[in-house]
Amino acid sequence: MTALLQLASVSVHFAGLKALTDVSLEAKRGEVKAVIGPNGAGKTTLFNVISGYVAATGGAIRFQDQDIHNLTPHEIAAKGVRRTFQNGGLFGEMTALENVLTGLHAQINSGFAGLLFGTKAACAAEREALARARRLLGLMEIGHLADQPAKDLSGGQQRMVEIVRALATDPPLLLLDEPAVGLAPPVRDRLMEIIRRLAGEEGIGILLIEHAIDLVMKGSDVIVVLNSGQKIAEGKPEEIRRNRDVLEAYLGYT
Amino acid sequence: MRENRAASSLWGHLARDRRLFFVVPVLALFIPLFANPYIQFVVNLMLVYVLVTVGFNLVIGNLGQLAFANTAFFGIGAYATGILMIYAGMPFWVALIPGGIAGALAGFLASVTALRGIRLYYLAIITLAFGELMRWIYIHADTVTKGTDGLPVPMATVFGFVLDSEIKKFYVFLAIVVLVVMGTSNLLRSRVGRAIVAIKDNESATASLGIPTAQYIVLAFVWSGFVVGIAGGMFAVLIGRVVPESFGLVELIVHFAMVMVGGLGSLAGSVLGAITLTALPEYFRSFPGLEEMFFGALLVLILLFRPKGLASFLARYLPIFRERFYRE
Repeated sequence: MTALLQLASVSVHFAGLKALTDVSLEAKRGEVKAVIGPNGAGKTTLFNVISGYVAATGGAIRFQDQDIHNLTPHEIAAKGVRRTFQNGGLFGEMTALENVLTGLHAQINSGFAGLLFGTKAACAAEREALARARRLLGLMEIGHLADQPAKDLSGGQQRMVEIVRALATDPPLLLLDEPAVGLAPPVRDRLMEIIRRLAGEEGIGILLIEHAIDLVMKGSDVIVVLNSGQKIAEGKPEEIRRNRDVLEAYLGYT
Repeated sequence: MRENRAASSLWGHLARDRRLFFVVPVLALFIPLFANPYIQFVVNLMLVYVLVTVGFNLVIGNLGQLAFANTAFFGIGAYATGILMIYAGMPFWVALIPGGIAGALAGFLASVTALRGIRLYYLAIITLAFGELMRWIYIHADTVTKGTDGLPVPMATVFGFVLDSEIKKFYVFLAIVVLVVMGTSNLLRSRVGRAIVAIKDNESATASLGIPTAQYIVLAFVWSGFVVGIAGGMFAVLIGRVVPESFGLVELIVHFAMVMVGGLGSLAGSVLGAITLTALPEYFRSFPGLEEMFFGALLVLILLFRPKGLASFLARYLPIFRERFYRE
């Protein structure tokens, strides 16, 4: 299977700080790849550089055989790389449904004039998006939350809505930045189950930052380990469990 | 009990139909039957301020940018319309459109400042300075603007029909306001409105959904400038003389108060705030010396006890006025 996303020796150096150095990795359709590492290892910077929020100072990033290196965040998202945010990126003032509708923005092809005059075509496009947004929430079994303001939802529900919103336009690649943080264990397990299902049934490529090692060991196909901005290991969960460098980085073994 | 519920659901159903909005302008059609010319003038002024507030609220309430260039948009619209009527001999209805476009251009300028990363207090002070700079220009470009004497605006005509009374102006203004408010309402209820509110909430997350945030920031400012520019053109023919003093800092505070009293981020609130704060000062004028006190006290009371403005009453009792992104 060809890679969806390819990073070839990507570096991000801020003035004096080497956030990422020569990181190469791939993401494939239908594969859950976890990125782990101690605090400050460069995991979020890796996501930010892929999704265009931080510029790479070296290396190449290709998505579906197109260079996405110099594109802006919205251009990269429009190509089909969607992400969630560590601190929750939901629009708190909007309902769950409106959040998902905002995710469907690009699929509503009404022009400015159509929207201004509220033409029949524009209204039909809006209704179609509305129906799709409701269906998507229903598929994730959170249809009953549609009309709740996002800020009133629980942490787990917010995470789910954010994933539905990110996936609204069927993107091939999804980046999840610590989706399970702060969730109760049963909710965490259920979330992981859904992530597995998205990869297995929908064939979505998933990159996942996660701190909970038990979850990562159970839920991912491949694990990438970062330490001080460098990739120190990549392999199946059981390989990573035995890797000396990883143990050193995590536990200080020498 | 049962009938009661049926009745309330019928009312509930009716009260959710958006077409009910048109009750407001249709009732307004009858105002001239009851109003003397002075009251009619105040009502016309309300219509001007409805657009002023709708435009301002879009930028500070919906987009959430602290841009205070509203008096600049208002003044530019007024002068552009007046100048085109005098020097190019355009009739009012023709001159009004370039008046709006001039406001839109000013809106574009303000949006470029915001896009350059100048936000919050910096954007506030730079847009305030823009307003004062424009006022300086109105005063000193006196060969065109007639300086502090003011620009005398000729009688407005619409399709050869002379607007020589407040009542005639009223019907034309009402038509313009209904059109512009409807268009703005349509925009706010569409993907454009969602994108604008999303940008206020979390700009990075908005971009992560493939939404070109910069374009929507520009769009919000340009539409705001257009709406307020149109209001300026109407103001010019309503007052008959455009003077620089009309577009100073006190005027800006009035615009700001209209948005806050009506309800930040609420279209219905913009309309209510404009009507209330145009009517009250006129009413309090009969209590000389106390008018500022009344005005200030009202402002303090509303912001203390109804921080979401008068629109929160509407949203509670009349479901059609509930708006997508404005919640009590």
